[in-house]
Amino acid sequence: MSPSESMSTPAPAPTMKQNPLTLIMTIKSPADFAALSAMLNKFLSLPRDKNPIDVALDKLAKVHFARFVFLENNTKLAVITSYDDSFEDYINDFIDAIGDIFNALLAHMADAPPLPVQKNRAAFLDYVRKNDLRCLGTFYSAYPTLGVKTILAQAADAE
Amino acid sequence: MPLDLADIQGIVLRSYKMPVLRNLILRVDDAARVKALLSTLPIQTAECWESKPEYCLNIGFSADGLRALRIPDDTLNSFPPEFLLGAVGRAAAVGDTGVNDPANWIEPFRSTEVHILLSLTGQSHEVVESVTARIRGGCQGAATEVFCRDGYMPSDHRAHFGYVDGISQPRVAGVPAQKQDTPEFTDPLELVAPGAFVLGYESSHPGHFYAMPSPDALGKNGSFAAFRILQQDCYAFENFLDDAARQTGLDRELIAAKLVGRWRSGVPLSLAPEAAQQASVPLDQWNQFDHADDPAGRKCPLGSHIRRTNPRRALVAGSGGETHRIMRRGLPYGSPYDPKNPNDGVERGLLGLFICGDLRDQFEFLMKDWVNDGDFAGLGTDKDPILGNQPPAGGRYRIPGPTKPQTVVRGMSTFITTKAGAYFFLPSITALRYVSALPV
Repeated sequence: MSPSESMSTPAPAPTMKQNPLTLIMTIKSPADFAALSAMLNKFLSLPRDKNPIDVALDKLAKVHFARFVFLENNTKLAVITSYDDSFEDYINDFIDAIGDIFNALLAHMADAPPLPVQKNRAAFLDYVRKNDLRCLGTFYSAYPTLGVKTILAQAADAE
Repeated sequence: MPLDLADIQGIVLRSYKMPVLRNLILRVDDAARVKALLSTLPIQTAECWESKPEYCLNIGFSADGLRALRIPDDTLNSFPPEFLLGAVGRAAAVGDTGVNDPANWIEPFRSTEVHILLSLTGQSHEVVESVTARIRGGCQGAATEVFCRDGYMPSDHRAHFGYVDGISQPRVAGVPAQKQDTPEFTDPLELVAPGAFVLGYESSHPGHFYAMPSPDALGKNGSFAAFRILQQDCYAFENFLDDAARQTGLDRELIAAKLVGRWRSGVPLSLAPEAAQQASVPLDQWNQFDHADDPAGRKCPLGSHIRRTNPRRALVAGSGGETHRIMRRGLPYGSPYDPKNPNDGVERGLLGLFICGDLRDQFEFLMKDWVNDGDFAGLGTDKDPILGNQPPAGGRYRIPGPTKPQTVVRGMSTFITTKAGAYFFLPSITALRYVSALPV
């Protein structure tokens, strides 16, 4: 790959702060689905300050919304998020914050990248790119210029 | 893994603190002769010295330089893409747009003739001239000097906007305490992982080693650097302080401190929020602060220059303020600004070299997200008041007060303009020998 090709991911338009991620991961087996389901349900039932996913995303402060959905008769897991800025630019921060969660999820996925993701960052980025459905056309946002941190700061000021 | 100080260029890990700086840019004309010349250059390493040398010489190769030296394609393509694209190709990624656009840069930085950087610093002009003459003699028939610019350390250590500079630098794990960059200014932060600045060691991101060109003989113990010529508009800066004082009713020197995060004396606002407190902060305490205990920026504003470029342990978007560090090198150029003669027609600014292990994750990240954006700290699209590329209508700056209301200053122009940029690879001593020995 030439440098111009590898760096060709278009930067978000200056007025559009947010981007979509629709990551579809293929689960290895029914047993892996059962393990994943138990793990996610356990995490998601915890209070926010104990849920490791919430704690990691709070620290990262780049993700507006995130949800997990099982698809296609529980053979796939979708991670659907809206996040700020370039995923590539923040890949190291993302992995620092939530790498262990992805290690736990990816252990149950077919075609998973080499783990742990902390030591295989480029392979993880390639995996995400390959399995991201992106979106049709442009991404809608009611507040296209605002990032997570700025919204939180404005909300705190308004209190 | 201990740092191999004898193989690492000294400029990466230490500030030489010499008064005279000369940056030479060479174009390779004869690859074989340049390779022979490389093996003769007295490159300063990071090894401890028993007595301070008269001068220190360091070297960097641009991607165009490596091409001109006819490095094999597979070796060249093992370098990170942003290095291969260079500062011109990556201008948009660092905010070099508008007035900072490479189209407005000086030559030869818009061309492909920027091949080798020689950074020479010395104890005196005479020493620097003498070494320069030897280098120029050695370059005869091998390379052409396409640029030369001198910098100097002001006697009062104040850079052109009048602030004492060179106080805060990353302290690197594995470097002896007395040989840290600024041993007189310790800080309460964790030591920075050596791989943040030297290839082949773990970076500030746990488990992660920054991408290294191959083979190891070329990549290990090397670093990357962004060379910048940053023109400073002192007249506009001082006028803005007058205007901001009129806008807000605040003292202009308080505003000057709030923009940077330090008083012009160098004393940090975090330790001396009031002007009268400056004298009570001893020199060895000037870095002994954190922003984590000031989450609203009531002492040191969230958008101030030192807080943006080194958020310390404050909560910012991402993995925290202690990653994405850079090592700052450089000195002012152009005569000092005299407010009694503001329109003297002299160009002045900073000859900067910003050293890191990964240009994209450190230098570019810092410029794009921390200098030319504000969301990481909850500041919307506000930019760094000193270094930011402000919008044509003028930038905005928020100064939180001691209580909830904040003062907003408007109409800020771009005070620092990029006049040149180039990316360089700073090879290890082993890598210099490797390049020198490659067949032409």
